[in-house]
Amino acid sequence: MPVEGGILRRRLVGEPATLNAVLQSSLPEQQVLQYVSRQLLDFDARLDLVPGLAERWEVSEDGLEYRFFIRPQAVWEDGSAVTSADAVFTIHQITDPKVPSPVFKPLFEDLELVEPLSASSFRARFRDRDALHAYAFALPLLPERRFSGRSFLKARENRAPLSNGPYRLASWKTQESIELERNPRWFGAPGHFERIVFRIVPENAVAYRAVVGGSLDEAWIDQPLKERSAKDPRFGACCRVVEFYNLDYNYIALNNRSPLFSDSRVRRAMTMLLDRPAIVSSLYHGSARIISGPWAPDSPAYDAAVTPLPFDPAAAAELLDRAGWRDTNGNGTRDRDGREFEFDLLSSAGSTIGGQIDEVFAGDLARAGIRARVRPLEWSAFVARVDSGDYQAASLAWAASDPNPDPFPYWHSSQFPPRGVNNVFYSNAVADRLMEEARRELDPAKRREIYHRLHRIFRDDPPVIFVANASQKYAFRRRVRGLVTSPLGLYGFWPGPLSWWGVPDDSVTGGRAQ
Amino acid sequence: MTRYLVRRLLLAIPTLFGIVVLVFLLLHLAPGSPASAAGSPEAGRRVSAAAREEMRKLYGLDRPLPERFVKWIGRVARFDLGESFVDRRPVSERIREALPATLALNGLALFFTLAIAVPVGVAAGGRPEGPFDRASAVVLFALYSMPIFWAALLLQTLLSVKLGWLPLYGVSSDTAPAGLAGLADRLAHLALPVTCLTYASLAFFARLVRAGVVEARSQDFVTAALARGLSRRQALWRHAFRNALLPLVTLLGLLLPGLLSGSVIVERIFAWPGLGRLYFDSILSRDYPVVLGLSLLGGVTTLAATLAADIAAAIVDPRLREPA
Repeated sequence: MPVEGGILRRRLVGEPATLNAVLQSSLPEQQVLQYVSRQLLDFDARLDLVPGLAERWEVSEDGLEYRFFIRPQAVWEDGSAVTSADAVFTIHQITDPKVPSPVFKPLFEDLELVEPLSASSFRARFRDRDALHAYAFALPLLPERRFSGRSFLKARENRAPLSNGPYRLASWKTQESIELERNPRWFGAPGHFERIVFRIVPENAVAYRAVVGGSLDEAWIDQPLKERSAKDPRFGACCRVVEFYNLDYNYIALNNRSPLFSDSRVRRAMTMLLDRPAIVSSLYHGSARIISGPWAPDSPAYDAAVTPLPFDPAAAAELLDRAGWRDTNGNGTRDRDGREFEFDLLSSAGSTIGGQIDEVFAGDLARAGIRARVRPLEWSAFVARVDSGDYQAASLAWAASDPNPDPFPYWHSSQFPPRGVNNVFYSNAVADRLMEEARRELDPAKRREIYHRLHRIFRDDPPVIFVANASQKYAFRRRVRGLVTSPLGLYGFWPGPLSWWGVPDDSVTGGRAQ
Repeated sequence: MTRYLVRRLLLAIPTLFGIVVLVFLLLHLAPGSPASAAGSPEAGRRVSAAAREEMRKLYGLDRPLPERFVKWIGRVARFDLGESFVDRRPVSERIREALPATLALNGLALFFTLAIAVPVGVAAGGRPEGPFDRASAVVLFALYSMPIFWAALLLQTLLSVKLGWLPLYGVSSDTAPAGLAGLADRLAHLALPVTCLTYASLAFFARLVRAGVVEARSQDFVTAALARGLSRRQALWRHAFRNALLPLVTLLGLLLPGLLSGSVIVERIFAWPGLGRLYFDSILSRDYPVVLGLSLLGGVTTLAATLAADIAAAIVDPRLREPA
């Protein structure tokens, strides 16, 4: 039986800019909002949609219209009912061009209309058919009354949200901490902890020490800290490492418009020149899985039968020769039509492991007669270059852990920037057709089959170099129990951290707790 | 003296304007924009270029640079620093929130630095190449060359995690008591970051004082003081040190703005809610109004402090009062 009460001390890597669920854009915001802002629908640990504030929903036969029925017992912290007006207001804000809502805007791009049907039900209609439109309604709601007559972006509410979830905001000390307490009006089962305290600790190494010292209950850690923890008897006495795979993966984007990478054979050769087995064993120390397509292995779209291309410099050299890239002038670098095979490989300066992969890759390429210069850029500058298509190759991580496997926005040829996010400019007619088909297919099993066919294409005509799905690691104090991990991480699903509970620290370590 | 002051004040205005223009230009010419900074690496990137363009418009970044500059200067003239792009709160409010933490940290660090560096410098300079001078030089340079993040993590591991004497980070505990116990709690939180900032600047000040004393002690007035029968200690402190004070006063003028600028590394490691972190985070997220506001604050305090230092120097050294 879970123990009730006590305080859970969690870590935020940075300060939330807002606690307005529509405006959220970062992980710390999501981590806090999960306790105070319930969603219409939720993903469970197995990536299935389950009822949240909405007790049920219906889809029209043409797959374009959705009707939602909000639970009659759903209330805000002040006792007033959660209504369809709140839902309509929230969706209107998301689609308002004057509101920056980076997380939700893409999901409602083809919304035709949204209107209330009764006080507790509403309908939303989309222009295009998309089997996974329902995913957009894993959506937190805002209380309309609180915003009426005020600037949405500057409302006081954004720093003092009205809760409709199991906890409510107790205090927020800028750049220091956010404290939550139980919401007495919450209609569901109460959370196990009395209070949740988030401390803002920017540095991983310090957060790790805080977990060992007892002032934090959990913290995300990187590979070096995990290795350190294995050798640290203090850590072993009070803490444990929780390790699992989520849906994140990394890849090296190749600009398909560049004369270097427009040929599919060259992109295949590039994949075979990256020594992925060595990267997994030496850089990730085994805690990563090589991938062969644009999903992590735990995604339902991933077909385990599609084995990754091998590391094979000889076969890659042959492909490059056939594509016309030969060293004709004897300077050690391949060339074609007077152009040398050399390019800048951009990377985000913040990513240590990304930088190491790039260096390994540049070395592998040099032996094959290709010159890659690794260029680390600061995040914002990096994104500006990649988004505008002003790059040859760039090392990226897919860290959205998005349960939606739809490849359409990222790899369909209609989604080139500035309209969409296919910023590698990948274009494959067969893949295009299959991606459209998958969107229309309402039967999950058949859709999955289409994804699996797509997966094979993405391996054989690769848009980018898919690298690996690395494990996520957290340091937890042993006193925290009831952890459930999922492909959506520790907290990207329901109930996530709400199922955690804690025993007093001294009953685990026998020592004094801070 | 008044004419001197007025001239100095008038000179400060174009300098400040130059600083502001330069910061404005540097910031806006740097690659990236608030829109590209949105969606941090860990949150993933699903934002389309079109959506980013919409955001740029929202921030007024689609307007030409000169227009934006004039607008900003116009607001600043009315003492309005604008609103943060990140959380839409007034920039002045965000600065005011972070100011006390940084002032407390840097003020204490400066106090301890001087309290240690001056006696050490005078003692070392009193007998150059003597055993104390040599020993202190070794210790000071060893401290000076220790990277601050390394020393900070080491101190944290030892004093917080292993011994549990001091808090690991933050300005106060979750359950901070009121009154004297609360003050003690805050002082305990200050101990480690102040130590880190102090040790790092110790060498610089101590060597500076020492150099001044070494130079002064070889001068005739010190010899004369000794000849008049003053003890070594009296000659050193009353005569040699006072002259060594002069460069220190000028330097302090340059250091006072440092009280506000904060240390990014120390504030990040100790999760200190100060201006250094605010500045750093604002640059990363391209929060132009906050970066500009902080730069302006830095510029104004630097100018004010150099002015104050010049006046102080004029008081200490009569030769500077009347320009030839």
